[in-house]
Amino acid sequence: MVTIVMRTFERPVLLARAVASVQQQSFSDWQLIIVNNGGEPRTVDEVVRIAAQRSTVSNGVITVLHLAERVGMEVASNAGLAATESEYFVIHDDDDSWNSKFLESTVAHLSTHAGDVAVVTGFVKMHETMRGDKVWPEREEEFWLVPGRLTFRGMIGANTFPPIAALFRRRLLDEVGSFDETLPVLGDWEFNLRAVKAGTFGFIPERLARYHVRTSDSDRTAGNSVTVGQDLHRDVKLQLQQRWTNEPAVNGVNKGQMSLSAQAVLEAQEMQQQLDEANRKLDEANRRLQLPWRRVVRSVLDPVHGFRAVMRIVRRLLGK
Amino acid sequence: MKPAEVLDTYSGVTTLTVDFFDTLVTRCVAQPTHVFAVMEKLLVDEEGAKWEQFALRRVEAEQQSRIVASGTDECRDVTIDEIYLELARDMNLSMSQRARLIQFEKDQEVAHCVAVPFGVAMTNLARERGLRVVVVSDNYMPSAQLVAMAHAVGYQWLTSADIFVSCEHGAMKHNGKLWPVVLNALKVESSAVLHIGDDAVADGSVPSGLGIHTYVRDAMRRSHRHIGNTAPDILPLSRIEAIYRDEMDSRGWDAVEVLGGGMVAMVVAAQIADVQRVIAEREVVGIHFATRDGYLAYTVWNRLRDAGYELPPATYTAFSRSVAWRANMTECNEKSIARFVGDDEMLTIERLERRLGCSLVSTLGREKLISADIARSVLIDNADAVVEGSRQLRHRMVRYLENQGCMTPGHHLVIDLGWTGSAVADLADLIVAESAGKATMEGRFTGLYWDATPQRRRLAMNAFAVDEFSSVDDNVRLLGGIRVLEALITAPHGSVVDFTVAGEPVFVDTQPELRAYTSFVGRLDEYAMDSAYDMLIGKHRSGVTAADISGEVLWASMMQVIHSPRIDEQLLLATVNHLTSMDHEGEGRCLVASAPEKPSEVLLEDLYSMYDILIHRHWLQGTLSSWHSIPDARWIADEIYKLWPLTHPQWIHIKR
Repeated sequence: MVTIVMRTFERPVLLARAVASVQQQSFSDWQLIIVNNGGEPRTVDEVVRIAAQRSTVSNGVITVLHLAERVGMEVASNAGLAATESEYFVIHDDDDSWNSKFLESTVAHLSTHAGDVAVVTGFVKMHETMRGDKVWPEREEEFWLVPGRLTFRGMIGANTFPPIAALFRRRLLDEVGSFDETLPVLGDWEFNLRAVKAGTFGFIPERLARYHVRTSDSDRTAGNSVTVGQDLHRDVKLQLQQRWTNEPAVNGVNKGQMSLSAQAVLEAQEMQQQLDEANRKLDEANRRLQLPWRRVVRSVLDPVHGFRAVMRIVRRLLGK
Repeated sequence: MKPAEVLDTYSGVTTLTVDFFDTLVTRCVAQPTHVFAVMEKLLVDEEGAKWEQFALRRVEAEQQSRIVASGTDECRDVTIDEIYLELARDMNLSMSQRARLIQFEKDQEVAHCVAVPFGVAMTNLARERGLRVVVVSDNYMPSAQLVAMAHAVGYQWLTSADIFVSCEHGAMKHNGKLWPVVLNALKVESSAVLHIGDDAVADGSVPSGLGIHTYVRDAMRRSHRHIGNTAPDILPLSRIEAIYRDEMDSRGWDAVEVLGGGMVAMVVAAQIADVQRVIAEREVVGIHFATRDGYLAYTVWNRLRDAGYELPPATYTAFSRSVAWRANMTECNEKSIARFVGDDEMLTIERLERRLGCSLVSTLGREKLISADIARSVLIDNADAVVEGSRQLRHRMVRYLENQGCMTPGHHLVIDLGWTGSAVADLADLIVAESAGKATMEGRFTGLYWDATPQRRRLAMNAFAVDEFSSVDDNVRLLGGIRVLEALITAPHGSVVDFTVAGEPVFVDTQPELRAYTSFVGRLDEYAMDSAYDMLIGKHRSGVTAADISGEVLWASMMQVIHSPRIDEQLLLATVNHLTSMDHEGEGRCLVASAPEKPSEVLLEDLYSMYDILIHRHWLQGTLSSWHSIPDARWIADEIYKLWPLTHPQWIHIKR
C-alpha cells in the first residue's frame, strides 16, 4: 500500500489534474489523502466528488483532510501521513503529475531493493502558463539527474529532485523523524538529507514524474512555492545552513560548511546551465535573424524572386 | 494486366527476371521495416526494456551502413553483417548477440513472408511456356536466405543459382551495374529479357535504358508509409493494412476502404471495448454514444446486441457544442458571448439570430456583413432576448435528454472523440443541475489535449489514446490532426442546431458535409463499422482483436495516418471541407490547405504565422505533406519541418 499525500490550497483546476494523475496509475494499491490546507472545503470536496465518478484502472481510496486554517507545508504533510498507514509514502504536490507507470515502477524497485529507503525517478520539468482556468504548457525541460546526485554529498548543496519524483519507505519516519514543521519551505530537502543517512536512494532513470512550474506570466495564485517565493527559499536555506554550522562536526566534517561549499559548486554548475540556456536562446534568435539572410541568398540564386524582393523593398521605401 | 497478357505482350523473350520483395514475396505487415517492430516486440517480451526502440535503431543502422559503404564503393550494396555491425556499435551488442540477432531477423523474415499471387501466377506461367526464370534483387540478404523465404511460401523450384542479389555481386540494379552481370551469366541479349518488379527506377527506367523489356507493378508497395515509423504499437494497424493490400492486389487499391477498415475502425472498436471494460468493473445506468462522433460506435454496439452479445442498451445522444454552450448560458456579457462569435468571422444580423435562436433588434441592416466586435456588441445590446432564447433551448434540450434517459438517477457514461471535453462538460453541468445531482456523468474520450485540464472540475473524464499528461509534442501532434478524425468519424446527418418542443434533435445539413458524406465518408464509415465489428467478435481477417488495441496502439494508428498519409489519402482528404463555425453554416475550410499561389514570394519570416494558421484551422501534417510533393512549395514544408520538427512525417524518434 502506498500513501499519497497531496497538499492543496485553493487551486481546484490543478488539484483536479493531480488527482487524475493518481487515478490513472497502473498500480492499484494506493490511498490518496488530500490535505486541504485551510482552503474552502466545498471546492476540494467538489473536485473529489467529480473525480470519484471517474472509473479507472486503479480505484484507490481518496480521502480529504480539511485543516481549519492554513498551516505550513510540512505540518500539512505530517498531518496527512499521521492519518494513514502504509508501507510506502509519497508527497504529490497538487500541481504536479505522474506518468501512469510511476507507482508500478517505484514500488517494484523498493520491493526488490531491500537496502534502498527511497527511490527517485527521472523527471521532466514542465513550464506552463496558467491564467484563470486555462493551463497552457510552454515547454518541457528534461531535468538532469544521476545517481550521484542522490547521495548525501550530492544533495547537501541543494535539493536535487522534487517530491513528485520520489517514493519513500514509511519506516523512515520512525527512524529519522517526520518532516520539520518549523520550515515554511525546503522541508523535503531537509528530510531527504536525514533520510539518505538511513539508507541509499535508488534511481530509475526513466522520466516518470512531471514537475510543473508556472511561468512568470501566470496568475500569481497559480505560482509554485519555488517560483513565487524565491527569496523565502534563499532565506530558509541560509537558516538551515546556519543551523547545521552550529551543530558539532562529525568525523571532522561540519554539515553546514559542507553544504555551503557544495552549494558553491552547484551554483557554478547552475551558472553554466544558465549560460547554455542563454546560448540556446541566442542560437534560436540567430536562426530567426538568419531567415531574412537566407531570403537574400535565395534571391541571388533565383533572379526572378530577387527582382520581386528588390521591388518590394523599393515600394516599402517609397511608402507604398 | 494479367500474367498471360504481360507474357503475350513480350512474346519474343526467353528469360524472365523478377524482383524478389513485393513481386514474388511480401510480408504479412504493411511495410518491410515493420518486421523489425515484430522483432522488437518479441525481444522486449522475452528480455525486457533494453530492446525498446530496436526497430528504429535497426532502420537507422541500415541507413548508416549504406553511408559507410558508399564511402568506399558507390556501386555495391551492403550486407546484413554490415548492418548489424553498425547496430552493434549503436546498441553496444556483443559478437554473439549480433550473430543471434542476424539469425533472428532471418527467421522472422521467413516466418512473416507471404507469396504474392501475381508473382506465383507469373512465374508458373513463364515456366510452363519454357522461359528461364531468375530473381534479380537489390537486397542485403544472401541468396540462401531468399531461397529459404521462397521455399516457405511455395516457390520450391527456386535455387541459389537462380538468384542474383546485389549484396553478393558488388553491384546493384538501381545503379545499373548488376544488369551486365546478370546478362553475362545467363548469356542472353537484353532484348530477350523481360523484367518485372515494383520499383519505377531499379525495375523500370534503368533496365529499360539497357534494352531490357520491363513491366513495373507496384501494387504491393501501396501499403507503405514512412520507413522510420516502426514500433510494436504500429503492428495491429500494419497487419490490417497488409490484409487490404493483399486483398486489393487483384481488384485495385481503395484508400476509402483502407482508411475506414483500418484506423477509423480501430477508434470505433476501442471506444466500445473501453465501455465494455468499464461496465465490467462498475455499475452504470446509462451508456450514451454522444455528439455525431458516437454514431459509428453506437451502430456497432447495436449490431453486437442484435447478434446476441450480452450488452446493455445504449443511446445515441446527438448534440453539438453549440447547443450545449447555448443551453448553459444564463447571462449574456462580453465573456459569455465571446465563444459564440469567432474573432475572424464576418456575420449578418440574420445569421446571428439563427446562431443564437432569438430575434435581435439592431439599427444595422439585417443582411449587412459586420465584424466580430460589432456582432458581439449587438448580442450584448439584446442580452435579454439572447438569455431567453437560451432558456427556451435549455428547456427543449432537457426534454430530449429525459427522453434519452440521461436524467435517470445514477452514473452515466458518455462516449465521445473528445479533444477539450468542453461540450461534454457542458452537458454534464446541465444534467447534474437538472437532475439535482442525482444523475452523474463520466466522459470516455478517445483523446484529450491540455485544454481539457479545466474541464476535470466539471466532469470525470478518461482519455483512451492521449491526454494532457502526454508530452507537449504529442499534444501538438493531436491538435494538428483532430480535424481528420472529426471529418471521418461522423453520422449520416448534419450537426444538431436545436431541439423541437417534443424533445427531438433538429439537424442541419450543410453542403460541404453532405458532399463529403455522399462522395466517400459514408462508404468509409460503413467499412469502419464492419471492420470494428469483426475486431470486437474476434474474427477480423488480420487476426487483430479489440484486446490488441491499447491506448498506445490506437495513438500509433492515428499518428500513422495523421503524420504519414499516403498520397491517395492526401488526395482523398483534400476534397473535404471542415466546418468550424458555431452555427455550422458556411463552406468551412479544406482539411488540406492549398499551397501559396506563388511559393517563391513567401517570406521566410511569415512561416510562423503560416504554422499557426495550419495548426488551428487545417490538417497541419497532411497539408505539409501535400506541399512537400509540389516542387515549388517543397521549400516551405522543409522549412516548417526544420522549425517545428514534431510536424515531420517521421513521428517516432529514438530517445537518446
